[in-house]
Amino acid sequence: MAISKIENKTAVKIALLEFLRSKYILYAISLILFIIFWDISAKMNGRFLPRPWAVLMELINGINEPIAGKILIVHLWYSLKRVFIAYAIAIAIGIPIGLLMGYSKLINAWIKPIFDLFKPMPPIAWISLAILWFGIGETSKVFIIVLGAIVPVILNSMNGIRLIDPSLYHAIRMLGGNSRQEILEVTLPASLPAIFAGLQISLSMAWTTVVAAELMGAREGMGFIIIRGMSVSNPAMIVGGMLVIAVTAWLLSVLMTLLERRICPWKTELEH
Amino acid sequence: MENRTRALKNFKVQCVGISKSFGEGNEKKLILDDINFGVGDEFVVVLGPGQSGKTTLLNLIAGLERPSTGQVFVDGEEVTGPGPDRGLVFQKYTLFPWKTVMGNVEMGLKLSGMSKKERREMASYYIDLVGLKGFENSYPHELSGGMKQRVSIARAYVNKPKVMLLDEPFGQLDAQTRYLMENEIIRIWQAEKRTIIFVTNNIEEAIFLGDRILSLDGKFPGRLKTIYDVDLDRPRDRADTSFLKIRQRITEETMLIL
Repeated sequence: MAISKIENKTAVKIALLEFLRSKYILYAISLILFIIFWDISAKMNGRFLPRPWAVLMELINGINEPIAGKILIVHLWYSLKRVFIAYAIAIAIGIPIGLLMGYSKLINAWIKPIFDLFKPMPPIAWISLAILWFGIGETSKVFIIVLGAIVPVILNSMNGIRLIDPSLYHAIRMLGGNSRQEILEVTLPASLPAIFAGLQISLSMAWTTVVAAELMGAREGMGFIIIRGMSVSNPAMIVGGMLVIAVTAWLLSVLMTLLERRICPWKTELEH
Repeated sequence: MENRTRALKNFKVQCVGISKSFGEGNEKKLILDDINFGVGDEFVVVLGPGQSGKTTLLNLIAGLERPSTGQVFVDGEEVTGPGPDRGLVFQKYTLFPWKTVMGNVEMGLKLSGMSKKERREMASYYIDLVGLKGFENSYPHELSGGMKQRVSIARAYVNKPKVMLLDEPFGQLDAQTRYLMENEIIRIWQAEKRTIIFVTNNIEEAIFLGDRILSLDGKFPGRLKTIYDVDLDRPRDRADTSFLKIRQRITEETMLIL
């Protein structure tokens, strides 16, 4: 009886230790410690760093209190809309270019030097030229986001084709496939996981670029919120905007991962 | 050449005066030299050590490579490229990772334009034949090595090829699975007889499987050395005295170290 009591106690202890060691608990502790550290720092220097509570209140206010004539969710929607338009354009242009560059050495030889010249240029460096060309409206912002988003799409589509195991082509030929069937049944599906990886990088690039583009000359959007926070000296608005941007980026990447699992269910093999 | 062609005329697969070299100029390397043989409605094993050109020989029959000299005929027609009248089973499985077992097996029928209902039915039969019933919707990465090779065999069989070409198909399997699969390929073959050319470097496997064994020289260029007739009843017993006798004889003559 006494022994079993001791055993029970030990079992509870072990379970508790195990619970404390599980990574989600550690995640939570890490976050809580960070927020406490943030709060203490903000308390000591309240003028420039808002306290967590103030940021939360600012966000709640933003739900129905307009900033520059629009509520927070509308600002977020403006940014997302720009990203989606630019993203769609980047995909529509980037995938065919990448596939052609991977498929044909000749086309690759024509496009590659130009592509390599523009590739390392940060998209935001185009902003002055974009404003000169397209004015300060939507077009120049979308243009810049397209420039940022298209690079990973092209690179991954190209490599997706190049890295296909040649024996898969042998297999389809032995089964009687002609060159059209070879493209449909091997080239496209085999390059899909790499293309998808490119789309994921591209989406996060697009999101980063939209915020940067909105920092200059926008009247709405998440980038604008941050600039607005600066001009009205409201640090809580700035940090709140930053948080919304981060959470949106995270949600977008989760969405892409779910989509990928649906479209390429065999991809787990590549990750092993 | 004329005489050879006539002598091989009655065989389903004929290799006439084949040589194959790779590279150019000083880099040129002769891989196969003066290969002549015919294969009828039988299970033939091509036995040779690594670097004997046996995979190259199989690729020539498959049409994935062209011979430098000589010709390959299947049913009297010269092989000029890959095609579904020859079913190839690769050493590294080479399944389509984005297709399920069903999708892989029915691929040849799909390419030939068969209707979905018909090809599902036919593919199901062969999936059943190779022992994979219940795995139709699995993806290759969910299968073991032995199961992948079953899919590969079914994928080739379903096209009803005139000849099956197997390139060291069990070379990547562990010893136990390998024994099992050797029994399985005989079972499948006896259920539906096809002309089979099976390449291996394993003497025991060659004797267990083959009606005849074509032994290639080691070291380039590969030449056809000896043809052994294996007159053992099936199922064969690897520990039987007559089995071991043949094994001893081939081992001595090929000087392969087992």
